[in-house]
Amino acid sequence: MNNEQPTVLLIDDEDMVITSLRAYLQLETPFQVEGCTDTVRAIDVLKSRPVDVVISDYLMPKMNGIQLLKAAKEIQPEATRILLTGHADKQSAVQAINEVALYQYVEKPWDNMTLLMVIRNGVERAQLLRELRDSQSSLRDVRARLIKAFL
Amino acid sequence: MTHPDGGENSELHRLASLGRTLAGLVHEIGTPVASLASNNEVLLRGLDSLAAADLPADIRRKVETLRDLASVDRLACERLTTLVRGVKRLARGASAELVAADVNELLRDSLQLAHHEFKLRITVETDLGELAPVMCAPHSLGQVFLNLLVNAAQAIEGQGRITVRTRPAPAGIDVWISDTGRGIGPADREKVFSSGFTTKPPGAGAGLGLAICKEIIARHGGQIDFESSPGAGATFHIRIPTGHSSGGAGE
Repeated sequence: MNNEQPTVLLIDDEDMVITSLRAYLQLETPFQVEGCTDTVRAIDVLKSRPVDVVISDYLMPKMNGIQLLKAAKEIQPEATRILLTGHADKQSAVQAINEVALYQYVEKPWDNMTLLMVIRNGVERAQLLRELRDSQSSLRDVRARLIKAFL
Repeated sequence: MTHPDGGENSELHRLASLGRTLAGLVHEIGTPVASLASNNEVLLRGLDSLAAADLPADIRRKVETLRDLASVDRLACERLTTLVRGVKRLARGASAELVAADVNELLRDSLQLAHHEFKLRITVETDLGELAPVMCAPHSLGQVFLNLLVNAAQAIEGQGRITVRTRPAPAGIDVWISDTGRGIGPADREKVFSSGFTTKPPGAGAGLGLAICKEIIARHGGQIDFESSPGAGATFHIRIPTGHSSGGAGE
């Protein structure tokens, strides 16, 4: 397991959502919470540090939630992707699940307990994926060294 | 009451655009409500831990008052949340797309939404049997139930009772919505389902409700009828097949 404090990235153009969720998560979890009301800044965060869970609103200026999560998938494929949206129609849900390999689709008004469970599972999933990636790459190293030693 | 040329259509348009406005409004309300509910949880938790601490009496009283207020806010948030979720479920896929839905759940949502018509004067009794999911346009069916419930409430002067009952039927389901209201007179029986018929005062309804209900139920391959005697209330009965397969059951 990763020893670093897990990080949750919240993106919503409404500051109130970020403030509320940040306060709740800080109360309930040891997670580091990063909030962005701006999608461009969220992408900067994704490029600059490891993130375990990305939770994005759907309807935002500049970029919608699916586009943002798609970018997140390219930058940090291990990060768990969650869409938190008041604009819940089946089409956008299906699109999100297919295009960005969405982990969960949570509707506003959300239920704190449910969201917390989704986030906790999401963090665990991201950390396991990272561990897997690390051990796979060290396995590849070992294999490469073995092959070199024999040849 | 007859409508001038195109009157019925323009009334439908007006209702449709009102529906869209309402759905948009509810989407807008979802976010602040969730935010309030979340903050309320954090506040309550904080006040709980303060109340557990050793405090001077006057401060303790204040903390307790604040805690009481926060508890009231929690109930208020829960009610708003339920309401928003109910409207969203009913508005979901205002498309004609058929999905498997739990009719009991649709009835509960409609009851919740019709609540403002009931206030304290009407008692609601539900007797919901175990039902198989029904292939339907949930939004449209919800509209039918809401319509029947609001009609039932408006038929009751003063105190009364509305009873909602569901039962499985062969290859379908039965729904009964009964009221203890003024009932439907023999002269009106034939006209109840025709568009433009209303006994309500101007402004209370355009008389399209039951005509649209009948249309929606027919598109689901079902039937709607009623029994009533003047002064003794009315019971509307709907039967819908569970596996209706032809498309276009919606608007």
